[in-house]
Order: sequence, then structure tokens, then C-alpha cells
Amino acid sequence: MEIYLPVAEMSVHWMVIVGLGGVAGLVSGMFGVGGGFLLTPLLVFYGIPSTVAVATTLSHVTASSMSGALSQWRRRAIDFAMAGVMLAGGLAGTGFGVWLFALMRRQGQMDLIVSLSYVLLLGTIGTIMLRESLNSLRSVRVGAPGRLRAVSRVRMAGLPLKMRFRQSRLYISIIPPIGIGFVVGALGAIMGIGGGFVMVPAMIYLLRMPTNVVMGTSLTQIIGVTTITTVLQATSNYAVDIMLALFLIVGGVIGAQLGVRISGRLRGEHLRLLLAIVVLAVCMGLLWGLVARPDDVYSLSLGAQ
Amino acid sequence: MRRFPAILLLLAALAPLAWPAQAEDLVSGISQDVIQITSNYTGTSIVVFGAIERPLGAEGRDIVVVVRGPDTTLTVRKRERIAGVWVNSDAARLVGMPAFYYMASTRPLEAIATPSSLTRYGIGEHHLVPQKIVSHHDPRPFQLAALRHLEREGLYNEAPGSIDFLSETLFRTRVPVPAGVARGQYNVEVYLFRGGEVVSAQSTPLFVDQTGLERRLFNFARDAPFWYGLAAVAMSILLGWISSVLFRRPA
Repeated sequence: MEIYLPVAEMSVHWMVIVGLGGVAGLVSGMFGVGGGFLLTPLLVFYGIPSTVAVATTLSHVTASSMSGALSQWRRRAIDFAMAGVMLAGGLAGTGFGVWLFALMRRQGQMDLIVSLSYVLLLGTIGTIMLRESLNSLRSVRVGAPGRLRAVSRVRMAGLPLKMRFRQSRLYISIIPPIGIGFVVGALGAIMGIGGGFVMVPAMIYLLRMPTNVVMGTSLTQIIGVTTITTVLQATSNYAVDIMLALFLIVGGVIGAQLGVRISGRLRGEHLRLLLAIVVLAVCMGLLWGLVARPDDVYSLSLGAQ
Repeated sequence: MRRFPAILLLLAALAPLAWPAQAEDLVSGISQDVIQITSNYTGTSIVVFGAIERPLGAEGRDIVVVVRGPDTTLTVRKRERIAGVWVNSDAARLVGMPAFYYMASTRPLEAIATPSSLTRYGIGEHHLVPQKIVSHHDPRPFQLAALRHLEREGLYNEAPGSIDFLSETLFRTRVPVPAGVARGQYNVEVYLFRGGEVVSAQSTPLFVDQTGLERRLFNFARDAPFWYGLAAVAMSILLGWISSVLFRRPA
């Protein structure tokens, strides 16, 4: 059955949309990331306008983060103070990102910026993850523990505005968490991602937060950021398609459950290797779209933008 | 006195040539004047039909049907390779072009009328002239690219020679309306050509509109975007919560 998307103003097959949401959900269930980084490019490949794809993927991220955050909350594994501080940075970042998004859309460079940011981000993260998982696979075989690159906290010790984060057992300046929140917020607005896979490593390696609260805290911050970004995208770009969101979420929920079951049967290092391959594959696909000669060097959009 | 009826006969035969507009006329209609875009809308078609009153014979007579969508601005961008990456470098805006265009005729257009009279009536997509062109360079390649894209998306279509007469005076043609059409007022125009000139024309409005839930959601998104955004968030949070309860795993 075809469904008509009222904001994207196009007909799509509902099974395709549920399927795409399911793929993103599968990845998020398997690897504990939002899956937004995969969903936006997939929607664009399918033909959804990139503005709508970016803005609507956020709803999918909100839903899957909510589901994840609730189970972390039951385990008391959320540092709300830290999430609040990072959200403050996220607010500013989101505002900046939505402004940049509207500017780029007027300039006609929206697709380029979205693709380039994805290629850079996915390329960097995919490469790091690939190296890290290959290293730990090798060291597991040798029997030595994998070395973690420690980022010194001494450098951040001099920063003002210190605050106590009871749940994380930290007493640090709020400037680094605000900065991380800002970057992730801007990424969310431009790329339609929650940014968990940027934020989680930053929280572990830069802020030295205990690993057990990192997941719940980042999910909580993501819900805050995606909520605000969705409202901003709806008001400034009219780009949120609620019908598309509904079908994506339904697919995502089912996919996530499947993903969780699959991940229970795989080793951590193998999972990370697999995720690195998925990330790099999406990156390569987008890169190909940027450098390959287009079928038609002219493109058309209806309306003044 | 015997010549009188002969003169009458001659007059009667000449009359249509002297006042052709009065003699030959067009009546036309469409199968539906509203197209409702519902949730399962995947395109439809309308039938345009008509008849010629007081016909003067099939020779030299042509019918052209044009369906035009609401006016829009077409933005055409040209990509160029910069540092190995294809970047939008140049753009042209064609203001006041129909968002949908369909043309059907009894014969190929060049056999019906001269290019200048086709341009006057906007008949044939290559005879459409934008109200305004905003471009830094020669807009011609941009215009051709726009037509190429619109044809590929099924928004512009031409079917020369597709109109058939059912009888000497009755004609009918089917106009496909694809899934991706814009909402708004369309115009269905029927032209009767004789000897390369328009002798009669009729225009009927056709409305394309969303209906039901889609309509309400679209209006909601436009009229109250803040609340619409919040509704999207509320839906996501609710569904996330439901899924977490449904699939709660024993700890």
C-alpha cells in the first residue's frame, strides 16, 4: 500500500519506509547507537528530499533514545546533572545548526554540506573503530589487554566554572561538556543524527566519565537535543513529516529488538568490527555520490529554493 | 427569377468562410473537476472530451488539449567538478512556469500551427515562456534541463497525435495525472485550430487538493509549526516509551 507523505508531498510504499526504519533500528539495537547516521543517507538514496530526511530522522532518534534511556533509568545509570549541562551546550549548537541549515538551503549547497559532513564524520569514526577493533581482536588473541588512549585530564583542570557531578563522581569545569554538547547539537541539526557515537567516546576519553553512566546520560541529552531540533526544524524549515516519522519509528522499534537479540550472540570485538564496516560502507557510498560524474549535471527543484 | 435560389445557395456556402467563428464552435468538458489527493493516491487520469458544433469537415481541422498546473518557480542548478567533488556552481530561476504540463493534439504541433502562434497560446512545452528568468548566463541550457527533468518525473508530458475523433464531431482524450503533482488550480484548455489559426477555445478549471488526514496534517505543519513539532516529539516519545514497555526484558 502506498502512503502519501503530507510534508514531503510524495507517495512512498509503507513497507519500504518501515524497512528502512528497521535497518536503522537493527543497527541501533546491535551496536547501541541511534542509527540516525544510517537512516538519513538511506532516505536520501530512496528519494526523500534531504531537508525532510534530516529533519524527520530526528523523530526516529528521539523514539529509539527514549526506549534506551528508560531501560538505563531503571538501572539508575543516568547522570541528569551532566545531561543538563551538555543539553545547554546542545541548545546553542542546535540553534547554530538550524541557522546554518537554512542558509545552506538558500545557497543550494544543502545536499553537498550534508554529504560532505557525513563523509568526514563517518570516515573518521569508521577508520578509528576499524583500527581499534582490529587491534583488540589481535590483542585478545595474544592475550594482552587492549591499550586505551588516555587523554589527560590535567589540561582541563585549569578551566573555571567547576561543578560537582555526583552520579559520575566528577568535579570538573562545565566548559568541556558544554562544548561537546554544542558540537553534537550542531551535527544533529545539520545531519539528522543524535550524535551518540560522537558523544560517547568524548564522554569516556575526554571527560573520563564512568562507562556505566555514559550510555544513559548521552541518551538523555540526545532526547533533549532532538526534541528542540525537531521543533526548530518544524518552525523554520517546515521539514518534519509526521507520517514518515510514524512509519520509520514502527520499523525502528521492530528492528531494534531484532538487533538486541543478534548482538547477544556476537562478541563485542566482532560487533565493533561489523559496525566499523557498516559505517565505512555508508561513507564510501556517499563519497561515490560526490565524486562520480552525475547522470545529468543539471538538477531541478520546484520552488524558489 | 430562376437565378435567385442559386444565389442563396452560393451565399449559404460562402457564409462559413466569411464568419468562421460563428459557424464552427467548440464545447468541451472534463470527467471530474476536483482531484482529491488521499493517503493512497498514486496518480489518476481525467478524461477531456468535447464536440465541434456546426463542423466544416475534417480537413484542416485540429484539436489541442493543454492541462497546466499552478505557476511555480523552477530553480535549475548546474554542477561542476571542483577539487574532485561535484558542486552546485551556477543556477537559473525560471519564474512563472506551470508545475504540471500536458499537451495532446490530433497531429504533431508543427503541422498544426506556426511556432509564433504556438508561443502566443503557450502550446507545447518548448513554447512555454517563463514570466521572468533570473540567470547570469545564457538560460537556454537551463531551460532545456528543466524540461528534461520535468519529463522524467512525469510532470511534463506531450502526446502529439493522440487525440482521436469518435465521430465526425466528437473527440476524447485521457490525461494522466501522476502521483507527484502539486496542489492548486489547474486549467484544462481545449483549442480548435483551422488552417493554423485558433478559431475557438475553451478553458475549464481543475482543482487538485489534499483531503482528509493528509490535508489536516499539512495545514497543521504550516499553520501551527511549533505545536506540530511538539506533536512529532510527543509521538516519538510515546512510541519509544511503549516499545520499552512492550519489549522490557527481565533484568
